[in-house]
Amino acid sequence: MSGGVYGGDEVGALVFDVGHYSFRAGYAGEDSPKAEIPTMVGVVEEHLDAMDVDGGSQLRDITTQKKYMIDTTSIHVARKGMEMTSFLKDGMIEDWDIFEKMMDYVFTRHIRSAPHEHPVLMSEAPWNVRGKRERLTELMFEKYNIPAFFLVKNAVLAAFANGRSTGIIVDSGASQTSAVPVHDGYVLTQAIVKSPLAGDFITMQCKQYLEDQEIEIIPAYMIAGKVVTLTYFGYFFLLQGIIQDFQSSVLQISDSPYDKETVENMPTVHYELPHGYNLDFSSERFQIPEALFDPSNIKGVPGTTMMGAAQVVTTSVGMCDIDVRPSLYGSVIVTGGNSLLTGFTDRLNRDLSAKTPPVSYISNMMTGILASLGTFQQMWISKQEYDEGGKSQVERKCP
Amino acid sequence: MASGVTVSTESKTAFDEVKKAKKFRYIIYYIKDEKTIDVEAKGERDTTYENFLSTLDQYKTECRYCVFDFPVSVAVEGSEKKPDMTVDRLVLMSWCPDSSPVKQKMLYSSSFDALKKALVGVYKYIQACDFEEVAEEAINESLKKGGK
Repeated sequence: MSGGVYGGDEVGALVFDVGHYSFRAGYAGEDSPKAEIPTMVGVVEEHLDAMDVDGGSQLRDITTQKKYMIDTTSIHVARKGMEMTSFLKDGMIEDWDIFEKMMDYVFTRHIRSAPHEHPVLMSEAPWNVRGKRERLTELMFEKYNIPAFFLVKNAVLAAFANGRSTGIIVDSGASQTSAVPVHDGYVLTQAIVKSPLAGDFITMQCKQYLEDQEIEIIPAYMIAGKVVTLTYFGYFFLLQGIIQDFQSSVLQISDSPYDKETVENMPTVHYELPHGYNLDFSSERFQIPEALFDPSNIKGVPGTTMMGAAQVVTTSVGMCDIDVRPSLYGSVIVTGGNSLLTGFTDRLNRDLSAKTPPVSYISNMMTGILASLGTFQQMWISKQEYDEGGKSQVERKCP
Repeated sequence: MASGVTVSTESKTAFDEVKKAKKFRYIIYYIKDEKTIDVEAKGERDTTYENFLSTLDQYKTECRYCVFDFPVSVAVEGSEKKPDMTVDRLVLMSWCPDSSPVKQKMLYSSSFDALKKALVGVYKYIQACDFEEVAEEAINESLKKGGK
């Protein structure tokens, strides 16, 4: 390889893993991320009265300035007129301004080290487009002046972390459930199948259910008696937090297709909402997540054409070359926060009736391990290579 | 996606000794210093697959790559009377047990491609994470299927 290869003695690489629910950052080779911060960012528009006092004419200049609220503590404060947005859309970076703010924040508050000292490894959605990858490379080298950079598809990392270079990765996260076939460490891009039936969808279903039952959900800020008028999104965000807790502690996926009678014999789960209202949940706790596997019974959407989790997998495998299909079915790897719902993997396994049981796996943070391998250094895009070849290097070096 | 790990010359020579000279039955490879794939052990020609599995049993928490010259019986085409003939098929497997450290799994699975490219003439690639996947029946089953 050419002289532009990055080869520091100590790797000390930083790892960034972006998801719709949270943004993980940390050092390579460590067991857990240094920071896990919500991807949601609060935006407050402040009106600033800038006055020009020198000279007789008083010029009144009213400008609006956007203030961004980042990290758990600041976004959970109810603020007047705060909108909640995210820099991600469909797993790809959409709003670069917010993304830059986020990176600044992570570097100064969590990493607390100069960016130009550490190579950076980032995970990306398998369907990320060329323009965005190049823009990201440009940003990292030009703004943060990092010594080396690498982009890896998160599905490949999930496969490697499970000791496999070929397999189908079922990633059920906040915004979508996707099936990504990986062969010999490369993503078969044309066979990726996505479905919006994932964590956020279940949250909406729970909200709907609780509303139908006339169970009121009261976010903490309303209890204190301090009345703050929130925007819809601001209110919704706080509401979401409560429902997500409900979701993870109450919901369960039944082993076999939902059947009211069987399910009613299952033990009930007791849950208490933050304002003290409590109730036992029985068949509902199976009925709500059933939509992930059998979308035909989604409330309020008759005759839906959406695909259940197992169907997403079979469709994706069906789009691959016939020779690789057996090896894909042999290694189904489940990842993503939503797959932690009780019974998710068991049900998927049953629906796929695969011979090899799916391996359940949670975190993508294993990226760090790859970056900590000494030999991996020659793979990085070094600053020198970037200076010589420009942003298009990312397409050449990171498949 | 590759990790940059290389394959040593000895590894290739050992593979040829199995493939051409039929000197050994199996080879176990490991990654030396996280840099090169090297030979760890070679098995005598008369080793059975069962013996090999008991050797593999020692690697419950370690990842390895293995080459095994797997004897298969194939029906002779065109004549039903002739008995099945036995052919040796080279099987290359990556062994990443669930209980091995994640770092090793990552290292071995991301470097498997390098070994695949270096060893020419392998009939079947197998990735195994538990003993079920390396069982004799499982190998037989996958040899019957098409593809690599």
